[in-house]
Amino acid sequence: MKQLITLLAGLFLAHAGFAQDVFMCRNTGLSFFSATPVEDIDATTDKGTSAMNVKTGELYFKVAVNTFKFKKQLMEEHFNENYLESDKYPYAIFKGKLVSPPDLHKDGTYEVAIDGVLSLHGVDKPYKEKATIIVKDGKPSANAKFNVKLADHKIKIPTLVIKNIAEVVEVTVKAAYNAAS
Amino acid sequence: MKHIYLLLLGCCLGLHSFAQESLEALVGKEEVKTHEPVIATYKSTRIIQGHSPETLKKRELDFRVAHHFGDLGGEFGGPKTFFGMDNSADIRIAFEYGITDRFMVGIGRTKGSGNLTQLYEGLAKYKLLQQTTDDHVPLSVSLFGNSVVSGMTSSKTISDASYFGKFSDRLSYTGQLIIARKFTPSLSLTLLPTWVHRNRVGYKDQNDVFALGGGGRLKFTKRLGLLLEYYYPFRSQESKDYFKAQGRDLYNPLAAGLELETGGHVFHITFGNSTAILENQFITETRSSWLQGQFRWGFNISRRFSL
Repeated sequence: MKQLITLLAGLFLAHAGFAQDVFMCRNTGLSFFSATPVEDIDATTDKGTSAMNVKTGELYFKVAVNTFKFKKQLMEEHFNENYLESDKYPYAIFKGKLVSPPDLHKDGTYEVAIDGVLSLHGVDKPYKEKATIIVKDGKPSANAKFNVKLADHKIKIPTLVIKNIAEVVEVTVKAAYNAAS
Repeated sequence: MKHIYLLLLGCCLGLHSFAQESLEALVGKEEVKTHEPVIATYKSTRIIQGHSPETLKKRELDFRVAHHFGDLGGEFGGPKTFFGMDNSADIRIAFEYGITDRFMVGIGRTKGSGNLTQLYEGLAKYKLLQQTTDDHVPLSVSLFGNSVVSGMTSSKTISDASYFGKFSDRLSYTGQLIIARKFTPSLSLTLLPTWVHRNRVGYKDQNDVFALGGGGRLKFTKRLGLLLEYYYPFRSQESKDYFKAQGRDLYNPLAAGLELETGGHVFHITFGNSTAILENQFITETRSSWLQGQFRWGFNISRRFSL
C-alpha cells in the first residue's frame, strides 16, 4: 500500500512537472504606436491570448482585432471598418518558435530570437524578431517590440490621411505566463 | 501490482495525449466569447434626414450642415432655376455633442419649410441597446427626441397655423424609437416608429401624427454606400381628403442618397421629395411629389472633432 501511494505521488509530481512545459497567458497586452509629425496614434488591448511551450520553444499569440482601444473613438471605428477590416479578418495570429531556446525552467533573464509568421489582415508574413523572457519563480514573462509595415499586410491608407498614419507602426507585446492547467 | 501497472499505463497515455495538443488548440479552448459591440451600423448619426441608431461618442463634437435645394423638375424646376440649385428649400446648421458613449445632445437652427419657419431645435438621443458581434444582443435600439420652437413673427390671421396666440403655439416635438440591425458588413436596416406632436396646426390638420419609417444602407466599398429612407405617416382619411380637396395634397417622404466617408468627414448626397429637413415638418408637411418632378438634391456634411 505504501508503495502504491509513493508511486501515485510520484506520478502526480511527474504530471505537474510535465504540465509546466506549457504556459498560458490569458491577458496578453498588445499595443501599437504610429508616429508622424502630424499625429501620434496609439491603441492597446489586454485581451490577447498566448501560449508557450518552453520545452519545444513553440509560441502562439492570438488577439481579436476589435478589442484594440483608441483614445479617439472615431479612429477606432476607422481602424476596424477601413484599415484592418475586422469583420472580414477578426484575428491577428502569430505562430512562432524560439530559435535555440534556453532552459526556461531556470530563473533568469534571457534574450531570445523568435522566428515565426504573423497573420494580419488576411496576409501571412514571416518575421524574425528579438524578445526578452524573464523567468521568476518558474514562471516566464515575455516582452517584445517589433515593427510592422502596413503595406506588407495590404493595409491601405488613403492619400487624404497619409500624413497622419505612419507607414511602419511599432508593436509592443507583453505576456506574463502561468502554467497551463 | 497489476493495478499499479494499469494506473501507470493510464497516466502515461494521459500525458501522451496532453503533449500532442497544439498550442493553437489550447488557446482556442481558452477563448472566452466577448460581447464586442457592432460598430458603424451607419457612418453618421443620420440615415438621410432622419436619425440612425448611432450616437456620438463621449467628448465628440459634430458640426453638421444640411441643405435641401429647390424642385429639380416641375413648375419651379428646370433650367431656369438650374434644376433647383438656385433655390434653397431648407437649411440646417447644428452642433451636436456626445456626453457619454451612449448619450448625445444637440442644438440647431433650421430655416424651416412648412407652416412654420425660423426653427430652433434642441435634441437628445440615447442608445438603449447596442448590437454585439456574437448576437448576444441582436439589435441596436436608440431613443430620439427633439423639441423645436419657431422664432417667426406671428401671422395676423387667427385661422393660420402660424398664428401664435401664446408662446406654446410655437412648439413642436418628435419622439422616435430607432431599431436597427447590421445584417452584414455591407447591409444595415432600420425601423423607425415615430410620433410628432405640433401644438398648433391648421384647420383639419392633426396635432399628433404617428409614422413608421424605414431606412437602410448598402455599402459598395469601404467608404461608399447607398442610403434609402421612407416614412409612412398615419393620418386620418378626413384630414387627407380635406387637403386633397384644397389642392394641398400630402405625400410620404422618400429619399435616396450616397454616404461618403473621408476620415473625419461624412458626406451625404441626397435626393428626395420632402422640402423640410426636420422630422417635425418632413413627416407631417411634405406636399411635394416625386411624380411631379418635385424632388431635389440635398447634402449633409458632418465633421466630427474629438475634444
